[in-house]
Amino acid sequence: MDLMLIIGLIVLLIVVGILLWFFSYYNRVIRYENRIDNAWAQIDVQLKRRADLIPNLMETVKGYMNHERGTLEAVTQARSAVMTAKNPQDSINADNMLTGALKTLFAVSESYPDLKANQNFLQLQDELTHTEEKIAYSRQHFNDSVLQFNNLIETFPGNIFAGMMGKKERQMLQIPEASREVPKVSF
Amino acid sequence: MAQQPKLIEDHIRKNKLDTLVICLFMVILLFSVIFAIGYILGAPPILTMMLALPLAIFYILITYSFSIQSVISAAGARPANPQNREEKMLIYKVEEMSIASGLPMPKVYVQESRDINAFATGHKPQDSIICATTGALQQLNSEELEGVIGHEMSHIRNRDILVMTVTVGVVGAIALIAEIALRMMFFTGGRNSDRKGGGNIIVLVIAIIFIILAPIFSRLTYLAISRRREYLADADGAYLTRNPEGLAKALEKIKGDLPDDPKGSKTVAPLYIANPYKRALRDSVWSTHPPLDERIRRLRSM
Repeated sequence: MDLMLIIGLIVLLIVVGILLWFFSYYNRVIRYENRIDNAWAQIDVQLKRRADLIPNLMETVKGYMNHERGTLEAVTQARSAVMTAKNPQDSINADNMLTGALKTLFAVSESYPDLKANQNFLQLQDELTHTEEKIAYSRQHFNDSVLQFNNLIETFPGNIFAGMMGKKERQMLQIPEASREVPKVSF
Repeated sequence: MAQQPKLIEDHIRKNKLDTLVICLFMVILLFSVIFAIGYILGAPPILTMMLALPLAIFYILITYSFSIQSVISAAGARPANPQNREEKMLIYKVEEMSIASGLPMPKVYVQESRDINAFATGHKPQDSIICATTGALQQLNSEELEGVIGHEMSHIRNRDILVMTVTVGVVGAIALIAEIALRMMFFTGGRNSDRKGGGNIIVLVIAIIFIILAPIFSRLTYLAISRRREYLADADGAYLTRNPEGLAKALEKIKGDLPDDPKGSKTVAPLYIANPYKRALRDSVWSTHPPLDERIRRLRSM
């Protein structure tokens, strides 16, 4: 009798333990997945923000850089590519184009001292550089979030439950080569 | 590329576990001190605990709830002004690092000081503050400032301020209790040893030695935690910026810059990225920060 009771209790404890672990695992998977979506929303916000700044920049630059039509056009084209992109990877690619076009524009602007003295231009340049950094960091955060999620659903024993929940590995964004690399930490 | 962040995550998890163990050890130390006192005084241990425990918890709660305000006013910091270009750049860097870490945007403060320094405070990421000195804004370039802000952001992410405040509370409580106990023993110790048998003298002596050593012990443990947290924030910050060299260069500038304009009390000192006091204090056993050279070496080997 006593032995049966003890065995019963142990089985009950194990079942409750597994259930508790499953609840916390389920919540973690949902939380990590939401974080990825939120990270993507962040990138989107920054991409839009940058695209919104471009017309202002064009307006400011127009009077000074009439001879650089090609440079200005490249920026405008890249901007409309960002605005019309349909999926994440497309908008990232378009944004890389925009980054390149802007880099050329700012390099060319060095030879226009009047423009370099324009307060409005300087402020826009600061803000565009800042937005570019924010895009890079939100992209990095997106990939970090994807990595954590993938680790969570692909390692044992979570992968059994993740399969039952129908969760699949998420894709990271391809970051252009010029971006920084992950540092190796050895302690 | 996918393999490397996982390595860092494992490393951070291990560090967090270590810190938890040390914190538990501190709490056990606090209990042991109370027990030892109870033994010496011949009082029932349960009675001592029922008195001391609520007191200690109350003390820690008070320290905790006033920490943000007291840190800001001790440092004499003010909110950053976006009209000033240098301070605007600081706000930009904090915003970038908050995006990189996926945490809410901290409030940005500036402290008037010629020294290069920065600190983070707050209870949780939602009410956190990052503060940099005007010296840091003037002397660090964009890459270096980013490294420093990444380090501070990691303190916020790792809930360092919370853990540090609680640990400071425990260290303070142990010091206080040990002090009171030693004073009390002068008056009541003799009577108790009369009542107890001769064999207990050894245990009694061990208990007294323990009470004398406990405050020193807890202080050293606290310093070990704080140094460990600095290394962790360095590594974590480098992971956020993907650029360990930025922080390494900033630390090199801090090393070359003689700290001559400290603001705020010594209690705030452990929060800064580098000890704002005399250089001699920076690298001693009692320092809250690891040696700058060692931090730079570790960053460069990433």
